[in-house]
Amino acid sequence: MGERTRSTFKELLSTGSGKAGVIFISVLFIISLGVVITYPPDFGLKYWSNPVLWADNPRAAPPAWTNLFTSDDKAETIILETSVPSERIPGIGTGIVLYTFDFNYNSDEAPTFTSMTIENIRYNNRPPVLTVNIERPDGNKIELFKLIVRGPLPDEEAPFIRFGETPFRIQFSGDTSVVGSVSNFLKQKFNISMSNQDLLLSGVDTVVFGIPQDDEKFEVLKGSYKLQVEAFLYDDDDSIGKVKFVLGGSVFGFMGTDTLGRDLSIGLLFGFPVALFIGLVASSITTVIGTSLGIISGYMGGKTDTSIQRAADIFTNIPLLPILIFLAFIMRPNLLIIILILTVFGWPGLTILIRSMVLQIRSGQLVESSITLGASRLRIMLRHIFPQTAPFVFAQMIFFTPSAILAEAALSFLGLGDPSLPTWGQILEYGFRNGGIFVGYWWWILPPGILIVITAMTFVLIALGMEPIINPRLKRGN
Amino acid sequence: MGTARLLAIKGGTLFGVLIASLLLVIVVLGATGVSDRMMGSIVNEEIRELRQSLAQTIRDPIELERVVLVERDQLIEFYGLDNPWYTRLPDMVWRILSLDLGSARTLKSFSGSTRVSDIVMERFINTVILVTTALAISSVVGLYIGVKLATRVGTKLDRGVSYISAASYALPSWWVGILFILIFSFQFHIFPFGGITSSPAPSGFLNRTLDIIWHAALPVITLTLASVGSWAYVVRTMVLNTAQEDFVTVARSKGLPENTIMNRHIIRVAAPPIVTNLVLGLAASFGGAILTETVFNWPGMGRLYYDAILALDENVIVALTFMFTLLYVSARFILEVLYILLDPRVRY
Repeated sequence: MGERTRSTFKELLSTGSGKAGVIFISVLFIISLGVVITYPPDFGLKYWSNPVLWADNPRAAPPAWTNLFTSDDKAETIILETSVPSERIPGIGTGIVLYTFDFNYNSDEAPTFTSMTIENIRYNNRPPVLTVNIERPDGNKIELFKLIVRGPLPDEEAPFIRFGETPFRIQFSGDTSVVGSVSNFLKQKFNISMSNQDLLLSGVDTVVFGIPQDDEKFEVLKGSYKLQVEAFLYDDDDSIGKVKFVLGGSVFGFMGTDTLGRDLSIGLLFGFPVALFIGLVASSITTVIGTSLGIISGYMGGKTDTSIQRAADIFTNIPLLPILIFLAFIMRPNLLIIILILTVFGWPGLTILIRSMVLQIRSGQLVESSITLGASRLRIMLRHIFPQTAPFVFAQMIFFTPSAILAEAALSFLGLGDPSLPTWGQILEYGFRNGGIFVGYWWWILPPGILIVITAMTFVLIALGMEPIINPRLKRGN
Repeated sequence: MGTARLLAIKGGTLFGVLIASLLLVIVVLGATGVSDRMMGSIVNEEIRELRQSLAQTIRDPIELERVVLVERDQLIEFYGLDNPWYTRLPDMVWRILSLDLGSARTLKSFSGSTRVSDIVMERFINTVILVTTALAISSVVGLYIGVKLATRVGTKLDRGVSYISAASYALPSWWVGILFILIFSFQFHIFPFGGITSSPAPSGFLNRTLDIIWHAALPVITLTLASVGSWAYVVRTMVLNTAQEDFVTVARSKGLPENTIMNRHIIRVAAPPIVTNLVLGLAASFGGAILTETVFNWPGMGRLYYDAILALDENVIVALTFMFTLLYVSARFILEVLYILLDPRVRY
C-alpha cells in the first residue's frame, strides 16, 4: 500500500496541473498553520468584530503600495506612541512632564484624521492637567486641546486611576474645543475667519497641516512637526501610562482597510484555515458516508440496495442552494450546521457512482474466491472491494472540496455566514452590502474572491492531475 | 414497458421528491418553532383587520374586546395553533403548495401588494427571462464548441478548453458578476450597475426592450460563462465516447465523409446525454440565479430571496424555497420525458 501511494504521488507530480496543485496546497497549508498558531482562538468575535480595536485605522483606505502608481503621494498612517516622558521641567509640585514627538510630514495631502489616546493616568491629590500642542515647520505653534483629568470622587481613596480600563481617546477633527482653537489660530496668524461649522465639515487637519492659498484652499505644509503633550503633575508618584497619536492616512498596509477601519490583510489571512477546514471536513465526511453507502448498496443488493438508492434519488433531486439557504436561515448561521447540510446533500452522487463500480467488482474473481474461502461480508467489503475503489474515492473527495468551499462562500455572500468565524465570503459580503462595487473599493472586493478562486482551483488542479491515475485510458491521449 | 407508464412512474417519483422536500421544510419550520410564529402572525393580522371592521359597528370597547377575543380563539383553533405543530402538517403542505402563505412582513410587490403569492409570481417571470436566455445562448455555443473540440482531440485548443472548463468549476458565477460590474460598470461605464430598467424607464416598446436588453447583458453573460465551459466539455466527451464505438469505425471504413459521420452517426447517438446535461444545467442555473440576481440587483426570485433574508421575512423564504424546488423538480421531469422520447433504448 505504501509503495502504491508513493507511486501514485509520483504520477501526480508528473503532470503539470498536479505539480501546480501540490505546490499551491502546500502554501495554503503553511499559511493556515501559521494563522492557527498565531491567531487567538476567539479571533472572530473578540477581535475582528470589535470596532474599538480598529478605531485608529483609516476607513476604506486602499493598500499603501498604490502610492507607487499614483502621481499624488497619499498620506500613510503615522503612529506615534510612548510611555516614557521625553523631558521633565521642575516647577510647582513635580513640575511639567513633556512627551514630545518629532516627525516629518511629506505627503501631498493632510491626514484624514488625527487622534490621541491616553492611558492609565495615576495621581495622588490634585488631578493633572494635560495640554496638547503642535509646532509646525513654519514655526507656528497651535494649542490644540486641554485635558483636565476628573477629580476624586467623594468616597474614592488615593491613588486615583483614570482611563485605566477604557483609555481616553479623542479624534481632533470632530472635537469642538479643538475646532475652536484652530479657528483662533487661523484668525490670528493668517487673518482668515472660518466658522466652526465649516471647520468641522472640512476637518481641522487640512488647517493644522496646511498653509492657506489664495483660492481659499489649503496646501499641505511639508517638513518637520513637533507634537507635544505637556502634563502638569502635582505629586512625585503621579504618572501617565501611555500617550499615543495617530495621523490617519488614506492608504493603509498591504491590503487596505474596510469601512470599519479593519485591516483586511488580517481578516483575509484568517480565511485560509477556515476555508481549508470547511472544504476538507465537509468532503471527508461526505466521502466516507457516500463510499460506505455505495459499497453496502452495491454489495448487499436486495432491499438494502433499493432503499439506499431511493433515498439517494430523492436527495439528488432536491436543489441544494435553496435548501441550504433555507436551513442556514432557520437554524441560525453556524459553521458546523453548514458543513452538516453540505454533507447530507453531498453523499448521494458518490453513492450512485460507487455502487455501479461495486456491481462490477462483485462479480470479479477476487470477491468470488474470497467468498469461497469463507471471508465475512464486512471483510470482503473492507479488504477486497474498498481498495479497488480507493483511488477513485480519493479523487472524488478532492473534487468535492472546492464545491464545499464555494457553497460556504455563496452562503456567506448572502449574509448567512457564521459570524464567529470571518471567512472570505463574509468579507466580500460586507464589502458588497456597503456598496463597495459602486464606489470601486476594489482592494476590498477583489482579494477575497481571488483567494476563494485560488483555493478552489488548487483542488481542481490536483483532481485534474489525478485523472490519468484514475482513468489510465486517458494516458494514451496525451 | 409503455412510455406512458414509464413517464407516470418518473412523474410519481418526482412528485414524491417535491413532497419530501416540502416535508423537510415544514418539519424544520415546525421543530424550530418558526411555523408557530408564522401562523401566529397570520392570526394577528386577521384579528387586526377584524377589529377595524368591527369598530364601525360595536361602539362599546369592552364588548369589542370580548368579541375579538372570541374570534381570536376561534382562529387559533381553526389554524390548529392550540395543537402541536405536527398535527398541522397536511394543512401546511397544502398552504405551501398553493402559495397561500399570508403576507410578507416588510417586502412588497411592485404593485404594492403584501401577499406572498403576489410578490413571488411577479418576480417569477423576471427570473425565467434571465435564466432561459442564458441557457439558450450557452447551449448553442456549448454545442458548437464541444463538437468542434471532439474533432480536434489532443490539440492545443482542446486542452486549453478543457483547462478553462475545469477552471470555471472553481470560479463562482457571482464573483464573476462582481468583477464584471467593477470592470464594465464602474471603470468603463458601458453597462449599468444593476436593475432591470433605467429609472425612469424609457417610453415606447422598442426603447423599453432595448433598455431591458442593456440591463440584462451583464447578468446573462455571467450566467452563460458560468455554464458554457463545462457544457462544451460534456458535449466533447459525449461525442468522443460515441466516436469510439464500432459503428463509427464501420461507417468510416465504408468511406463516408467525416461530416456525414459526425452529423448522422455520432451526434444523433450522443444527443440524449447531451440533452440531459442541458436540462440539468437549466435546473442548476435557477439555483445559480439566486446569486447572480443578488449581484446585479435583478428583480427576480433570487434577488427576492436575498431581500427576504436581509428582512428576515420567513413567509417569503418558505415560498421561495418551494418555488425553487418546484422549478428544479419540473426541470428534472422534462429531462425524463425528453430522455424517453430521444433514446429508444430507454423504452425497453
